[in-house]
Amino acid sequence: MRSRALCPRRPPRPWRPLFNTLAFHTGAVGVTIVFAVPGLWALTASLRAPGLPPPVGVDWLLPSPLAWWNYLRIFEILPLARYLGNSFLVAGLAIPLTVLVASWAGFAMAQLPPRQRHALLALAIVIRMIPLTALWLTRFLVLKELRLIDTLWALLAPVWMGSSPFFVLIFYWAFRRQPAALYEAARLDGMGALGIWASIAMPLARPATAAVSLLTFAQYWSDFMNPLLYLKSDDRYTVALGLRVLQQMDATNWPLLMAGAVVMMLPVLLLLLLVQRAFSPAAERGLSSPAQRGLGSP
Amino acid sequence: MALSVGLAFTAYDGLSAPRWNGLDNFRELSADPLFRIAAVNSLVFVALTVPSRLVIALGLALLLQRARRGVGLYRVAVYVPTIVPGVAYALVWLWIFNPRYGPLNLLLERLGLPAPAWLIDHATALPAIAFIALFQIGEGFLVLLAGLREIPENCYHASALDGAGRAATLRHITLPLLAPWLLLLTIRDIIVSAQNTFTPALVMTGGGPYYATLFIPLLMYETAFDRFRFGLGAAMMLLVLGVVGALIWLAYRAAGGFGYEDEV
Repeated sequence: MRSRALCPRRPPRPWRPLFNTLAFHTGAVGVTIVFAVPGLWALTASLRAPGLPPPVGVDWLLPSPLAWWNYLRIFEILPLARYLGNSFLVAGLAIPLTVLVASWAGFAMAQLPPRQRHALLALAIVIRMIPLTALWLTRFLVLKELRLIDTLWALLAPVWMGSSPFFVLIFYWAFRRQPAALYEAARLDGMGALGIWASIAMPLARPATAAVSLLTFAQYWSDFMNPLLYLKSDDRYTVALGLRVLQQMDATNWPLLMAGAVVMMLPVLLLLLLVQRAFSPAAERGLSSPAQRGLGSP
Repeated sequence: MALSVGLAFTAYDGLSAPRWNGLDNFRELSADPLFRIAAVNSLVFVALTVPSRLVIALGLALLLQRARRGVGLYRVAVYVPTIVPGVAYALVWLWIFNPRYGPLNLLLERLGLPAPAWLIDHATALPAIAFIALFQIGEGFLVLLAGLREIPENCYHASALDGAGRAATLRHITLPLLAPWLLLLTIRDIIVSAQNTFTPALVMTGGGPYYATLFIPLLMYETAFDRFRFGLGAAMMLLVLGVVGALIWLAYRAAGGFGYEDEV
């Protein structure tokens, strides 16, 4: 590491890192408290016994009979396990398909000459501007022709265009950040486009892949409109529809509704906890990025 | 889509065949006081939320970008309001904003501050709805975290060697290199806030009190599906698309293009 030798060390100030850490955690805990409120409220509201009046002020933190059986109840009155399975199937399939399609599209776009790149950028934004309501009917007709109505494949239809034009653009920008020299070198070594994509571009775009994966999962997981429009038999329902059924069966039974909401939120949050490591700097994850190696060697 | 564009120039009630009436729909809209209220409300909403949402997402991404103990849990917490199902999210805020029993007003009263009626008051309902939107920034937050990681680390090393402090690095390295991602998010946010203000307004206030939170999507829905004036609804949609396009163009100009042309 030559760079370190160039920088003369400042005199050590032992309190500095401690102070930084303290300041960081104070700020982060403050943010957490503010942002976690809706989730915590849903959690405590789900633990209130049905029939109690809504909480007053801040005496809501621990409901006095801790009605954890609300969670058993929602699995009894609805085939919620089946709904969860359907949702996992759809959202789980959506991740690899979306990453594949969106990253290929973004990779192809990043190789184009500037004029065509800009045309495609504008096109992606215009496509995103079309209100989803305008697509409902046309998509129904197409799916009917393909005999996919009332199958889970109907919910996966947006996958074939990368789920959202924005996912394509996220990959596009990630690939444009990568040094062209790396691609050039690989090409001279006789590597094809697919090889460069697989062995150079994608490994370097791990943060983008993590973000797109999580957002894709969340999009299909909480998608309510498509299942409502394209599914008929209730053994194919997804968990988002299940929550709606729960709401319509007994609109005033908030604890059960909130229990459903909590069950619905947890998988997304767990997935985020798993993939968020990709957002930490490579060096601090214990890996070294090519950019760093380039700097270290003479 | 093309069908909707065509419908904008017709009178269509979903039963009889569409009847061509040229620009009548647009003329009717320009004279309609409700449409004017909804348009102003929607624009105010966009102006209140889009810049602040971007700043909040950026600030949180900068704060939580480093690998530190516990950072994963903090990141998850920031994403919570985004993933809370719509109904639950609306109920949470109906409770927080409750004028008599809500924690917000109990706190304000204890501090001796005025406690407005929030969602029920004509003056505060729109800002309150905008405030609620400020917490659902999880997607922008994640995209910016990814964007920060795509900045080559040797840029930071170079600026450290030049003796740049934190503020200078942020201004001259991080923000310029993050610009395309920020612009992408701004564009997405303009589109989303112009089109998706529907659910919160419908669930929490129904457009009231006295049209204070009547947004274009809600008015469009009522016009088309309650009053069966699909042509008029389609005309509204076209106008919204036009304004959204103009706003995006403004943001694009203000950012000076998508960047990236001069490097690598």
